[in-house]
Amino acid sequence: MTVETDHLIERLADEAAPVRRLRHPGKRAAIWLALSLPYVALVAYVHGLVVDVPSFLSDPRFMIEEIAALATAIAAGYAAFCTVVPGRNRAVAWLPLIPLAVWLASIGKGCIDDWIRLGAEGLEVHVDWMCIPPLAWIGILPAAAMVVMLRRGAPLMPWVTVALGGLAIGALTNAGLQLFHLGDTSIMVLVWHFGSTALLAALAGWLGPWIFRWKMVPRSSDA
Amino acid sequence: MTEHSDEPADLESLMRAAQDGDKAAYRRLLREVTPMIRAAVRRHRHFLPLQDIEDLVQDVLLSLHAVRATYDPARPFHPWLMAIARNRIADSGRRHLRSAAHEVAVEEYPETFAYDATNHVGEGYGDPQALRQAIEKLPHGQRQAVEMLKLRELSLKEAAAASGMSVGALKVAVHRAIKALRVTLHAER
Repeated sequence: MTVETDHLIERLADEAAPVRRLRHPGKRAAIWLALSLPYVALVAYVHGLVVDVPSFLSDPRFMIEEIAALATAIAAGYAAFCTVVPGRNRAVAWLPLIPLAVWLASIGKGCIDDWIRLGAEGLEVHVDWMCIPPLAWIGILPAAAMVVMLRRGAPLMPWVTVALGGLAIGALTNAGLQLFHLGDTSIMVLVWHFGSTALLAALAGWLGPWIFRWKMVPRSSDA
Repeated sequence: MTEHSDEPADLESLMRAAQDGDKAAYRRLLREVTPMIRAAVRRHRHFLPLQDIEDLVQDVLLSLHAVRATYDPARPFHPWLMAIARNRIADSGRRHLRSAAHEVAVEEYPETFAYDATNHVGEGYGDPQALRQAIEKLPHGQRQAVEMLKLRELSLKEAAAASGMSVGALKVAVHRAIKALRVTLHAER
């Protein structure tokens, strides 16, 4: 053992304060959801948005989309929290692809149905500015909670971790928003809801190494 | 408090105790894992010089320290440790590649300018004795101004109060003194 390494060990041992252990990734995902879901509901309520329950229950495809979006949020959140724990299987990062595929397939089927039902009009995309403010507000707390919780872990694969976090936030906010946009055609859901989720995940992944990096003590005590 | 013993270490127990703030357990754990980390670094980076290998070992120890809260005592310790070590070794490889991509190998570093005047090894007077003698030869007012403003680093206001000279007179005196010193020292070179 070299003298420098020996000194470093002595210093790290001397500085070692008790630490609060990270909970199981499943529990952490549940905590994140428990924080985020009431907030999403509150913001929606403040914006005067009311759930159309009869329409919601009478449309099985819409229910599949809604559940798939929520499942994507849960799976992506769980996978993100797994990736910050050293020694856990990295393959868990692929887990959200299953509900994500179901969500995308359901929207795709909706696009075909709209095209058959309405013709070219069913595939028209227009800008809906009204949904952008609630979408931004809905995302703030889940995003802040996710960043704080992820940064307590180890940045082993920051691109993947933060992209999964972004996917979880995007899927959760869109699951909330979708409840209040029952009249939207599937192409609108595909472009604005699914598209914004994918964009958020990609952007988060790109910013990952800046948001999430190793926070180490200086190498020497006089640094 | 966990005391040092010669028995084989149970790394899971040591880490659990370290997370609870047991410094002796943590010290023993770090000593036990350092050879493992060093072996892993040598296995993946056998071409590195010894000092770089040791730097990387220290990097892994610092990383372990930074994320020690992520260890779950219900799970085995070794995969946790090696995941951190592999990650830091891979990061060092990426850092090396990034820096190598921005470096150009040259056999000889060029001088910034070829002229003799820009290639002095050091600046300054070089000979403090000569400088001291040159200052002593200055007229009284100039010598006083240099001593107060340059050697004792008083402000103009403080020097004016101490010497009874005006600020303007001090400025002129120090300017003339520096000019005279430059001439004297240049003539001696």
